[in-house]
Amino acid sequence: MKKPLYATILLIVAALIAACGQAGQGGGAAAPTTAPVAAPTTAPQATEADCARPEVLCVGLVTDVGEIDDKSFNQSAWEGVKRAERELGAIVNYVETKDAKDYAANIGLFTEKGYDVIVTVGFALTEATTAAAGENPNVKFIGVDQFQAEAVPNVAGLIFAEDKAGFLAGVLAAEMSKSNKIAAVLGTNLVPPVVAFKEGYENGARYAKPDIQIISTYHPGGLDTAFTDPKWGGDQAKLAIDQGADVIFGAGGKTGNGALIETAANQGVFCIGVDTDQWETVPEAHPCLISSAMKLITPGVFDLIQKAKDGAFPSGNYVGEVGLAPFHDFDSQVPQEVKARLAEVDKGLRDGSIPTGYNPGG
Amino acid sequence: MERAAPQPPSRVDLLAYGRAVLRAALIPAAAIVVALSIGAVIIAISGANPLVAYGALFEGGLGSGRALSRTLEKATPLIFGGLAVALAFKCGLFNIGAQGQLLLGAIFAGYIGFAIQGLPAVVHISLALLIGALMGALWAAIAGALKAFTGAHEVITTIMLNFVAFNLTDWLADGPWKDRSPGNIVARTPTIAPEARLPDIAGVPLGIILAVLAALAVWWLIWRTTIGFELRTVGQNASAARYAGISVRRMTLLALILSGFLAGIGGAVETLGVVGRFQPGFNAGLGFNAITIALLARTNPIAVIPASLLIGVMQAGASRMQFNSGAASEIIDVIQALILFFVAADSMIRWVLRVRAEEGERVTLSSGWGS
Repeated sequence: MKKPLYATILLIVAALIAACGQAGQGGGAAAPTTAPVAAPTTAPQATEADCARPEVLCVGLVTDVGEIDDKSFNQSAWEGVKRAERELGAIVNYVETKDAKDYAANIGLFTEKGYDVIVTVGFALTEATTAAAGENPNVKFIGVDQFQAEAVPNVAGLIFAEDKAGFLAGVLAAEMSKSNKIAAVLGTNLVPPVVAFKEGYENGARYAKPDIQIISTYHPGGLDTAFTDPKWGGDQAKLAIDQGADVIFGAGGKTGNGALIETAANQGVFCIGVDTDQWETVPEAHPCLISSAMKLITPGVFDLIQKAKDGAFPSGNYVGEVGLAPFHDFDSQVPQEVKARLAEVDKGLRDGSIPTGYNPGG
Repeated sequence: MERAAPQPPSRVDLLAYGRAVLRAALIPAAAIVVALSIGAVIIAISGANPLVAYGALFEGGLGSGRALSRTLEKATPLIFGGLAVALAFKCGLFNIGAQGQLLLGAIFAGYIGFAIQGLPAVVHISLALLIGALMGALWAAIAGALKAFTGAHEVITTIMLNFVAFNLTDWLADGPWKDRSPGNIVARTPTIAPEARLPDIAGVPLGIILAVLAALAVWWLIWRTTIGFELRTVGQNASAARYAGISVRRMTLLALILSGFLAGIGGAVETLGVVGRFQPGFNAGLGFNAITIALLARTNPIAVIPASLLIGVMQAGASRMQFNSGAASEIIDVIQALILFFVAADSMIRWVLRVRAEEGERVTLSSGWGS
């Protein structure tokens, strides 16, 4: 009785795998494997196997712990890489990091295949990136959010002045608030860019309205939960709204998104997103989302890939652009004088005449 | 209930012993096969090729010297954590707090590692391991004492202590023990002294050697000592144990202390052997995977080793799987969860395989509420 049963199960499993194998052909990130009859030397028909050839540009991306479609950081960087695929004919692929101890091994997946440019996303990968750069002097590394204390010739740290983006969001929040009370729901203060967003936001709000009241809350959990807790984010947004806040800034991955989505359920309350234009990434927040404090990661990553291709790769720190996302459906609700004010503050932040008041070292 | 569990070959006929081992391995093996099959379907639905995916998974876990060493690296803390959870199960206790105990072990071993300089390696490593283990034991002892003296259920207290441990270690790593070297902006301790790093013995990392020795020691403790007998008796029937003159309080406390001790070494080995410092987030999930391991091994300390190696292979190969096939690496979590599900709900697998549970094969896990 038993033996035929095992055989049956084995057969079913084998059949399933075989069937799936066919269904899955050509799926995923695998590059097309059918070689053209006369293989030209130009990139379009090249595959990952050709990465070792100098004329084929291959760009890989290693995420921080998190998903490639996180609607935030990793995704923005990946879109920069995808743009390089479209516009520069690059071969691209990514690896999602599941365990922080795997950074080096994941970078290694690309170096062993002869990739030319490797994008590593997040400050936590700084050391692994620097180490890999030392072992692979011919590979260019783009470290998103990786401040370079010492310049390494083949590493460019793409950094952003989050405090400036936060400052603009703060000005907008204060100008749009009727209750004179605004809030920020934040990821953990263990991550400096989050602190920079918060300080910039508060100082920007006070710059616009010195007597504004601000309720800022950091997620109390560790790094493993602080950015993935939309429930907590929503609860904090609700608490702030109950206390009279009418503009909520959500800054902290999915935690911040939770705050945006919760705010959307409340009439007459605005919300502001972070990192990317969250109008595109969190459609649930459309009822409240007036703008987002953006780090323009996608163009920053693309520009650096382009420079690598052109042989003009910079080392050290490369400061990317920040700014507010478009107002989208709220364009008509933002008064002209507020828009003018924002433009003026933006100019002041750029030329340094308006300090953000955020000073990590001091 | 534990009568029929495999005995060492010196006591019984070798053939019967082999058969008993095979029988015991049947359910977990079937659970793994079923979980991998369901995983294959999910991979196919997601648009990737399951054969390519699984090929890359095993290549990434076993395909080269480097892959093997990464598998061992992943398996090491899982063995310690799995032993911790399994040992508590033997006493009828469900230690969900292995993660917190492990974190305490990891950060204190890291502290000893960076705060002291100039010790000989043998002394430095031993001291760091011991302090890490003791901190894990202390952390578990809190839950043990609460259970023994107030009856507070260990499932609740260990979960709550996990949160305290997360925040305590985050605070230490971002406050008093933070790496103040220029350029560092994140929460982490300085790197440990080179003498505190776990060496390789004949090419094998010391951590995995310690883990295997720990598994043997736990087996010996449970099956060959009076304490082990008392632990098991309490685990099977606390009232009967009390009637037989065994102090249930003492055993409850002891079981959790030993459990925490093991989890603490697991964390210490991770810091001293792999990470080289304590950094929040680097030990995420280890203590929870340990529960999977303990269940997959059906609380048998020796079986914890292959169970950890299996999960270790999958974790080491996950990135390569996603890289080569495009299948999301979260698939590994799904497969792990399915394995756990089928092992825990073994009657389903038994039904599929038409295997009846024999009296002696049942594994007693946690005792019920209020016991």
